[in-house]
Amino acid sequence: MTIESLVENMFELDNPINELNRLLIKYDLTPNQAKVYLYLSKMGIKTASEVSKSLKIPRTETYHLLSTLQQKGIIFSVFGKPTKFNAVGIDESIAILINNEKNRINELETGKESIIKLWKLIPKYSGNKEKSDENKFQTLQGRNSILVKLEQMIKESSENILVLGTESDFKKFYYTDFTNLLQKTKSELRILTDYSNKGTHIFEDVPAKKIKKLDDKNREDFCFIIKDDSEVIFFVSNSEVKDMMALWTDSKTFVTTLRSLFSLIWKKAHHIDESNAESLLGSEITYEHRLREIEQEKLILNYLQKNFKLSENKLGARK
Amino acid sequence: MSKNSTMRDSKINSNHLNILIIDDNEQITKMITTFLELKNHNCRVANDGKQGLALIQENKHDVVLLDLAMPEFDGYAVIKALENNDMLKNNKIIVFTASTITQDELEELVSRGVTSYILKPIDIDLLLSKIIESATS
Repeated sequence: MTIESLVENMFELDNPINELNRLLIKYDLTPNQAKVYLYLSKMGIKTASEVSKSLKIPRTETYHLLSTLQQKGIIFSVFGKPTKFNAVGIDESIAILINNEKNRINELETGKESIIKLWKLIPKYSGNKEKSDENKFQTLQGRNSILVKLEQMIKESSENILVLGTESDFKKFYYTDFTNLLQKTKSELRILTDYSNKGTHIFEDVPAKKIKKLDDKNREDFCFIIKDDSEVIFFVSNSEVKDMMALWTDSKTFVTTLRSLFSLIWKKAHHIDESNAESLLGSEITYEHRLREIEQEKLILNYLQKNFKLSENKLGARK
Repeated sequence: MSKNSTMRDSKINSNHLNILIIDDNEQITKMITTFLELKNHNCRVANDGKQGLALIQENKHDVVLLDLAMPEFDGYAVIKALENNDMLKNNKIIVFTASTITQDELEELVSRGVTSYILKPIDIDLLLSKIIESATS
């Protein structure tokens, strides 16, 4: 078996190439584009025909894929007959793909104002007047759309933000603006979450007084965030759906119900920096409690001293 | 009431009680032990809730003096554990605390099965009479 055939087989077996393929799709490549790029990056200069044959992709599609990858700037052609292709280095390719995405976002942002301007030019034909008090619901799927909504809720909040859920629920938002925004919010923040004394925590930069520990019995399969008693985002766990799902609503009934549930659990929960007794008895345990204990020690000591003196006196009198 | 505790009740001699003290304050436990032993009672000591609970389960005492505020496994946790195992009412538990606790909260503990409560500081003779009263009640 030649080295080339070994590398070619890598595309068919369960190996890191498949994981790489999956990762490259996030950089706006289709599965076949990623496959062709990875093939060239590992195999070096190849003709379109060779690519097509090795990857078992129809020749016409292969030409189209090679042309798109060239336009994206991550492969290049080598002059000759027939034309041969090679890949740009992986570091440079990733940088190019990131820049492409950044440019696309910049274009979208620039286009926003024009779209709104044009939209306003078109008269509205709907005869129904929208009711402002209508309850709105929105189903959000995927981490990014949920994150955008969460960030919007936290930024717009002016009164309070109530967060309930396990660390595992929120770990999907590590390295995002979610926790930064929570830290910076001027609203009253309350977080109910599980919190072991080991390891790092997603909320570790949030002041401890704002976090209470979610007891095991309350660690149900639900997670939600309430903003200003007016909006809630409720995470829906569905094993059949791979992506994260959440339901956002401004329904008063829904918000009030979850708010009541949160208040009930918050009232019974303990702050993460309290011991069990402190939380049950209040912070007075430290000073007043100690004073009473000292007073008790004094009372017993006085008694014992008095009695021992009496005994010693008796013994002394006998001598 | 369990068979064991009924048997033990019949043997209670108020002049010679077996007392279990559960308190994290070692000075207090030492001093109370000295005092009670001077009065001819037997004392066993546990300085934390878990150890105390294990000694309660040995069933060798007539009365338990239980402090509420202890680190980690506190008096409340001991009461809860006894309650969960239907052992609270079979034991003479006296809550002995210096904590800021309301009358209602103390009464609630009594309604759950705690025999009585003593708030620190208490005169030492009064403490003894309370212990005897609870043990023989």
